[in-house]
Amino acid sequence: MKKIFVLAAVLLACSVAGWSQAKKPTIMVVPSDAFCERNGFVQQIQTTGATVSSPDYARAMKENSDIRTLVSAMGDFMAKNDFPIQSLEQELKRLQTEDAELAMMTGKSGGEIDETPLERLRRSAKADIILDLDYEIHRNGPRKQVSFNLQAIDAYSSKLISGNTGVSSDANVPMTTLLEECVLSFKDNFLSGLQHYFDDLFANGREVSVTLLRYDNCPIDFEEEFEVNGEPYELAEIIEAWMADNTVEGRYTTAAKSANRMRFNQVRIPLYAKNMNGRDVAIDAEAFVKPLVRMLKKKPYSLTVGSSPRGLGDVWITIGDK
Amino acid sequence: MRKVLLIALTLLVTASAVTVSAQTNKDRRKSFKSWDNYEISTEKVGVDGTKFVKVWGFGKNVDAAVMQAKKNAVHACIFRGLPGGPTAMSTPPICPNPETLNAHEDYFQNFFAAGGPYLAYVNMTTDGVPSGTDRRQVKGGYKVGIYVQVMYDNLKSKLEADGIARKLSSGF
Repeated sequence: MKKIFVLAAVLLACSVAGWSQAKKPTIMVVPSDAFCERNGFVQQIQTTGATVSSPDYARAMKENSDIRTLVSAMGDFMAKNDFPIQSLEQELKRLQTEDAELAMMTGKSGGEIDETPLERLRRSAKADIILDLDYEIHRNGPRKQVSFNLQAIDAYSSKLISGNTGVSSDANVPMTTLLEECVLSFKDNFLSGLQHYFDDLFANGREVSVTLLRYDNCPIDFEEEFEVNGEPYELAEIIEAWMADNTVEGRYTTAAKSANRMRFNQVRIPLYAKNMNGRDVAIDAEAFVKPLVRMLKKKPYSLTVGSSPRGLGDVWITIGDK
Repeated sequence: MRKVLLIALTLLVTASAVTVSAQTNKDRRKSFKSWDNYEISTEKVGVDGTKFVKVWGFGKNVDAAVMQAKKNAVHACIFRGLPGGPTAMSTPPICPNPETLNAHEDYFQNFFAAGGPYLAYVNMTTDGVPSGTDRRQVKGGYKVGIYVQVMYDNLKSKLEADGIARKLSSGF
């Protein structure tokens, strides 16, 4: 009897040691579009024949010292909470260096690094949680006052995690002092909103989006029928049934369903799953859909299926090609 | 007959007045005893990691009322949160779950005991006895208002380290 207890204790200890931590979302402070527009930090980009203005983050970070002050102050309190934020400025620099290095890189036999246009497009600065920052300075003679607006946004669901607005005191002090006062003012409310979001994530699973797309060379579409338990079902219905079986408490929403495209949002996925060796590992959206990808590759579907992650919480599955 | 009716009516009115008055006094005593009955306001944004508040306390003498006010300031940071002001946003409580106090009753009994650990997280910003409108003599003692600085971040870290509050990064 004693031996059984000892064995059980050892097994329990092993399972606890093997239990991994959930994947930590990355957080980045980004100046809001309104701020960039107001201060002239925009660039004109030609896309499909039309000229659109897009925020020029690199110039905003380089030319506006106030943004640096705010990012530093926010980075400081986030680091104190064991949640260091990604620096947009450094990330943009890293991407520039990476571009230059990739262009120069050749193998010993003269081979070059291959990169599709999509891969190049996705190699941009991104984070799982975006802190959208906006502020405005109001002057009243020698006195200044700062009004601020900080929104924490889930990059995949576009849901607002925490919103904070307010004003600093009205004083004749250096701008840095007022900006730091703003950060200290919203800090605890902001952290509380973030904590609430993480609590929900641990209780109900991570919220992700899954998109299924069909290449034109795919012999079937999502309306093709397959027999399941003697009944004919459309492929889309079979995929929906898989989602219902594998999401946390069957929680997901079918946002779009057609012959060529399916999109699921508000998909609640578990934080952990077993890997190929039977070990519990933290998963993201791509790891979550891997069993679905494997299922579609097998008979009776026998499809060529590819999956490409767009961060921790968004994944695209393509059928017909990879 | 008329006289009897008049006397009965007078007695009834007097009795109901006494009952209402007794009820009010009882309520007042109850509210003085309740820990949730205190006023607190955020004065301005405190320096990093701190909260600058004005808090009121009730006690048999001024010293006891000041001590109670300090206790109230820490209590508000943990359980109630601090209201916002014109230039300071509101502060959420460190333990927003209303069950926390009951779940860790022994811990908080010790934490808020006379001379307990709570004192390490509160500084009085003015030295001396509150005076003027901040010191009111009420039935049964004094009600005083003091300006204090609560070491909010240190308090939060202590509660996180003791397993009372959840850390932002826990689980990751």
